[in-house]
Amino acid sequence: MNVALILMTAALVVWLELPRMLREREQRELWGFSVLLLLGVGISLTQTFISDIPTPLILVASLLKPFSDFLTAIGLIQ
Amino acid sequence: MPNVKISLRQLTIITALFMIGTAILIVPSALAVKAKQDAWIAALIGIGIGSLILALQLLLSRLYPDMNLVQISEKLLGKWLGKSVCFLLLLILFLGGPVAVLQEIGTFLTVQIMPETPIQAIIILFGAIVLMGVRLGLEVLARSAELLFPWFLLLFLSLSILLFSQVKWENALPILEQGPGPLIPAVCSFISIVYLPNMILLMIFPASVNRQSEANKAVFIGSLIGSLILLLIVILSILVLGPTITEKTMYPSYLLAQKINIGNFLQRIEVIMAVMWFITLFFRISFYFYATVAGYCQIFNIKNIQPLVIPLGWILTTLAVFIYPNVMFEHNWEARTWTPFSFIFGLLFPLLLLGLHGIRKIRSKGAPKKSRFPE
Repeated sequence: MNVALILMTAALVVWLELPRMLREREQRELWGFSVLLLLGVGISLTQTFISDIPTPLILVASLLKPFSDFLTAIGLIQ
Repeated sequence: MPNVKISLRQLTIITALFMIGTAILIVPSALAVKAKQDAWIAALIGIGIGSLILALQLLLSRLYPDMNLVQISEKLLGKWLGKSVCFLLLLILFLGGPVAVLQEIGTFLTVQIMPETPIQAIIILFGAIVLMGVRLGLEVLARSAELLFPWFLLLFLSLSILLFSQVKWENALPILEQGPGPLIPAVCSFISIVYLPNMILLMIFPASVNRQSEANKAVFIGSLIGSLILLLIVILSILVLGPTITEKTMYPSYLLAQKINIGNFLQRIEVIMAVMWFITLFFRISFYFYATVAGYCQIFNIKNIQPLVIPLGWILTTLAVFIYPNVMFEHNWEARTWTPFSFIFGLLFPLLLLGLHGIRKIRSKGAPKKSRFPE
């Protein structure tokens, strides 16, 4: 049910955007559109199957941890 | 990049609304946690330091008046390095900016106003409005900002005036009880929430403004309007609610609106006041999102940003549902990661670009001298 809904919405978005891009021959736009749409549909589908996906913020937090520790050490953040 | 032009007044209003954004909901408690009853002093110092940082960011736009942020960094850092640095910064900014703000409005509505509605419904509806706005383009967003700003001011002024009878001056005493020490982290968090993300507005001005030479002044006036409104809301929270309640409430300014009580007759008008936050949060998300889409289009040399809005917006709304697993994570993220990141993005990044600009200038000054006096 959920999967069908997601795929239907994706089809709707494609129907809304694709004809104009094909008409204007926008190659780069088409690539960007398809990559982002696939990513979006992928995240939505994962969400229907796995209930608690770890947030991408954990990655960012570990990336910035050294700088954050430095700022804590000099007392700029608590 | 689409060739759109907005007027100076629209730029001023955009800056003000963008700055007020989420800050109007979260700044009072973020400051009161650290500085207690001196939160208003921290906001005042924050406005001073923040204006200096804004001047630094504006210097960059004055040096390169017809370029946006991605173009500037491509020019100064080299094509590939500039593109990859911008890609990474915009990715983190996308996760911590529009996605987090969209989640914020979902939490705000489900916690305070509609507790039985699933958060997904609110996030999808609000996300759809943002997508509509961004897909129609910058000019439409700017014009709607111009239309909605008077309503925002009306609501804000009525909130301040109606609350005036509840002010207890002794809530602000004693001033500087623990010395100026606790003010430092409070000032930092004020700057990082309010001033540093303004760097993203360099994606919009000066390249998309019709009178570029005066764009900086317009942004500065806008930032002053925005920060004065925030200062007023911090002062009101401290004076009406007191530091302890401000510190422990998630959304102190909503509680402020609940406190309005004129003669036991005019009361519980907080939902009307909440329209104010819908307006500012909408523009915060929209301009963050517009800047991200425009930035990615610039990085990948895509000319028309319109087709990319809906797919990226899909990612925005799906991510917004699970971006913060719980409130503790959110608090930790805001204090430990978002503040350092905004310092990197809003202060160190422009400083780096300005430094590179200086080096280039010295080199290009040196080069013709050499040719004039060959060895």
